[in-house]
Amino acid sequence: MIFDFWGSHVTVPSDIISAWILTIILAPIVLFWISKKKKWPLVREYMITTNHRKIGTMYILFGVLFFIRGGIDALLIRTQLAVPENDFWVFQNDKYNELFSTHGTVMIFFVAMPLLIGLMNVVVPLQIGARDLAFPYLNAVSFWMFLAGALVFNLSFFMNSAPNAGWTAYAPLSTDTYTPSAGNDYYIFGIQISGLGTIFTAINMIVTIFRHRAPGMKLTIMPLFSWSTLITSFLILVAFPVLSIALFLLMFDRMFGTGFFHGGVGSPIYWQHLFWIFGHPEVYIIALPAFGIFSEVISTFSRKRIFGYPAMVLSLALIGFMGFMVWSHHMFTVGLGPLANTFFAITTMLIAVPTGIKIFNWLFTMKGGVISFTTPMLFALGFIPTFVMGGVTGVMLSAAPADFQFHDTYFVVAHLHYVIIGATILGVFAGIYYWYPKMTGKQLNEKLGKWHFWIFIIGFHMTFLPMHFAGLQGMPRRVYTYQLGEGLFEFNLISTIGAFLMGSSMLFLALNLYKTHKHSPNVGNDPWDGRTLEWTVSSPSPEQPFKKMPYVSELDAYWYAKLENEDLSEANDTRPAPVSIKTIQPVILSGLLFAMSISFIYQWVWLMIITGLAVLSIFPIRSLTSRNEYVEKRVKHE
Amino acid sequence: MSNEKSSEHYNDKRLGFFIYLIVESVMFATLFATYFVFTSEQSTPSPTDVFEAKSVIISSFVLVLSSATLLISEKGLSNKSPRLIVLGLVITFLLGLGFVGIEIREFFTYINEGYTLTTNVFLSSFYVLVGLHAAHVLFGTIWMILLFYQLMANIPFSLYVEKQRIFHYYWHFVDLIWVCIVIFVYKPYLF
Amino acid sequence: MLDVRIEKLEKAVCFMKKLVSLLLIFLPLLSGCQLRALNPNSERASDQTFLIWFSFGLMMIVLSVVFFLFVRFVSKYKQTEMNKNDIPRDVKGNKKLEITWTTLSMLLLVILAVPTVAITMESSPELAETSLENTSALHINVTARQYSWSFQYQNGKTSENQLILPKDKEIVLHLKSDDVIHSFWVPELSGKQDVLPGKEIILEFKADQVGTFLGKCAEFCGVNHTNMTFETKVITQNKYAEWVLE
Repeated sequence: MIFDFWGSHVTVPSDIISAWILTIILAPIVLFWISKKKKWPLVREYMITTNHRKIGTMYILFGVLFFIRGGIDALLIRTQLAVPENDFWVFQNDKYNELFSTHGTVMIFFVAMPLLIGLMNVVVPLQIGARDLAFPYLNAVSFWMFLAGALVFNLSFFMNSAPNAGWTAYAPLSTDTYTPSAGNDYYIFGIQISGLGTIFTAINMIVTIFRHRAPGMKLTIMPLFSWSTLITSFLILVAFPVLSIALFLLMFDRMFGTGFFHGGVGSPIYWQHLFWIFGHPEVYIIALPAFGIFSEVISTFSRKRIFGYPAMVLSLALIGFMGFMVWSHHMFTVGLGPLANTFFAITTMLIAVPTGIKIFNWLFTMKGGVISFTTPMLFALGFIPTFVMGGVTGVMLSAAPADFQFHDTYFVVAHLHYVIIGATILGVFAGIYYWYPKMTGKQLNEKLGKWHFWIFIIGFHMTFLPMHFAGLQGMPRRVYTYQLGEGLFEFNLISTIGAFLMGSSMLFLALNLYKTHKHSPNVGNDPWDGRTLEWTVSSPSPEQPFKKMPYVSELDAYWYAKLENEDLSEANDTRPAPVSIKTIQPVILSGLLFAMSISFIYQWVWLMIITGLAVLSIFPIRSLTSRNEYVEKRVKHE
Repeated sequence: MSNEKSSEHYNDKRLGFFIYLIVESVMFATLFATYFVFTSEQSTPSPTDVFEAKSVIISSFVLVLSSATLLISEKGLSNKSPRLIVLGLVITFLLGLGFVGIEIREFFTYINEGYTLTTNVFLSSFYVLVGLHAAHVLFGTIWMILLFYQLMANIPFSLYVEKQRIFHYYWHFVDLIWVCIVIFVYKPYLF
Repeated sequence: MLDVRIEKLEKAVCFMKKLVSLLLIFLPLLSGCQLRALNPNSERASDQTFLIWFSFGLMMIVLSVVFFLFVRFVSKYKQTEMNKNDIPRDVKGNKKLEITWTTLSMLLLVILAVPTVAITMESSPELAETSLENTSALHINVTARQYSWSFQYQNGKTSENQLILPKDKEIVLHLKSDDVIHSFWVPELSGKQDVLPGKEIILEFKADQVGTFLGKCAEFCGVNHTNMTFETKVITQNKYAEWVLE
């Protein structure tokens, strides 16, 4: 559609117009609903909170919202690819490029990350007997930075300039010479800001886990989800700063005329190195917490202690460590030479060993147990075969010459969805069903949960299994169509049907949420017969849990106490706990960062200066106001 | 009770801040790597054409000295002597400001000679790395102003000590980065 | 007429076969309709296909062990009316078992690593400055740009989006890009090789059958990436000699 806009003709595609119309219709409805239900105080409460459970819940809420966005992208992609030489709506050429670029970016940065960080936020403090994260204020800042970044990124679509260089933003395509629209600037700022938030979360988690564990809980008996959080946090510490700098340099290339990643003077391959030094550990950053969730769930619903606990911890650490030595397996076809290719092929194969150890340990945890097929357990059980299938294709990909064929085809698309959906998304679902009582006090409906699981997993395999063959039949990634005679039609058609099946399974989750909150009563502390400390506090978890601090002397101490019909022994704990406060500052900071990003993207110098100074002023403001609160608290306690 | 509470809280903060410094190190390491990738004697202009020793020596002297003068403040913190604290802080502040001034002058000289950010990738990586470091020094000087204010504002002394200690770690870290810059960025082409 | 009908019938049968076998999961790999990346027409591609099959076979061992244990444990130890109040005995671990599966998986990887390393060392393309000049071979300059390919032969003749190659002759492609990164890919003849701006990369192979193969740009390169395809024709050496002088 063409509009007259202050004298100049502006072409706006119809998908963007529909999105605007939909938003303009929906927004008042939502606002009206909030007013009618008198939920504004609740919204305000969550905006000024620094409580770990509330922040975790918000992470998950927005993670799910962006999941819907990324999911719609995926369905549009699948519709366009359903039949050969298709012209679905506007999604060809650049519009299609925008689709898969945003799909990838949103799913990694604004779905997988917040969903996992949300679960960490809710669960880790409770699981280790901490009253909150070590730095509640910083935690709120992390969340609001994530949201600012996500909103910046999502705004790009509404401004008709979505990123269009893929989620990997390979240079020189992503430099201003080849993609001059604002799209990739949105990409840079959206990820940069939310990435910094993620770094702060990692710092927060490490300090919490090192310094706020319940008395007696040595690291050697800490639950595995907390262990996976700890190791993930260390990975974030090393990987995300590299991404930060990579984006920083790309920003200089796009906005200030440098040539770091240009073809002639700079080095496009250097971008790939930086991106994958971040990018491969990132895969483990989103997989390891899911491994932690599965360990908890499988152990609980087999009613057995985890098999080979030391090996589980060690393999987590090994995977994390080796994750930094495999990045160039994404670059086998770049022409790095035989030696580099051999080295990275070997390291990549080796990383399969600790992963295999984990799989066998999970299997042997179930052996001899009493397995109950609850919804979280179903997701965990679905994970094992799915993830192993993704794992074995991973080993196949590691053979560098074979990868010359696999690389950048649908085989890789299949592989990466098998591992990422197989681990992260199934893990997140397992985690949400499992810990939902701790978040809201209610237990999700089991029957609908099982429907959700089965339709999701069947749809998943239907979508992604044929992609292996499409790839081998010569279908590259990131193409918007294919010809009839290429032998790709049947694979793609099945994939598309599967994708819609997967999408429809989410309706069961929606229905489940609705029914649960409408009808279900609150449950007690321990609805699943759990093993770890989070099940000793009430559901939902209180703002200051552990009024009586438990003493933890072994792994799954709560379980063994229950077996003996005893309470956990109490500790004489005088460890001062972090105090959660009410503050609006993180929200303001988030708004300022949002405005600053926009000013950079559109190069409005005056707004850059104002917002830049305002963001800097948050530091002294926080420093000065926190003192007052702190003094008050001290007086109160004395 | 309150002392213990605050010291536990401080230990949390200190650990958190140390971890943050690790993050900063990784960021700077990436920028150093960028500099190595894009810099060689062959680039035109080459580092030897651009760098001038005088400014590097003076600025290094100033910044290393500022780390030393901060020790006066450190002594003041342990002796509970506000006089020493202020003395150390003021000298460090002036030296920090001096360093930023010298850096700005150095950059201006280069730019006037035609060596700008966009001239070649060696200069781009140089400006981004050294510029980011200078921004850290500038941030540190602003931090010191805030510390002055808080010292005057009569907050509990133990709390003030914590705040300034954290700053000390920051300042020494920034100094350390400068030493790395001198060793890896300037030295191979100057001395 | 009959031929066309038979061909159509064959196609339909092939289609049905694929559909059915897809449902039977891994059978399309074994069925008669060959997937392009598994249908090599050069030694280079044969090595890759071998490695694909070899790694696939090894991995099927892993997969079947895991699937077997999974199905067995889940079915044997599921909660029933009988055992629903049981508290199973805790097993902290089993050193012997754990060492066994660690060593076995290492061993499997070593078996995979040996041919991988051999083929990788032999067939990884390199930058032009590091690879030795092969004088007896046929050299072709390949230039990729948004969104087309051009091929320049030794006598200066060029062709657009069409690559003509003689059979049984060492081919040395000199790959260059004018703008962004592209990737040269003809599944039947060679795996992918990225084409970089500002660098020249050498890709060598020898086609051992005549035929026409679809080539594609396999690295996302912008708006019209999808349509950046080219046709590769392998013809006999005599025909090639004629063609190149045309």
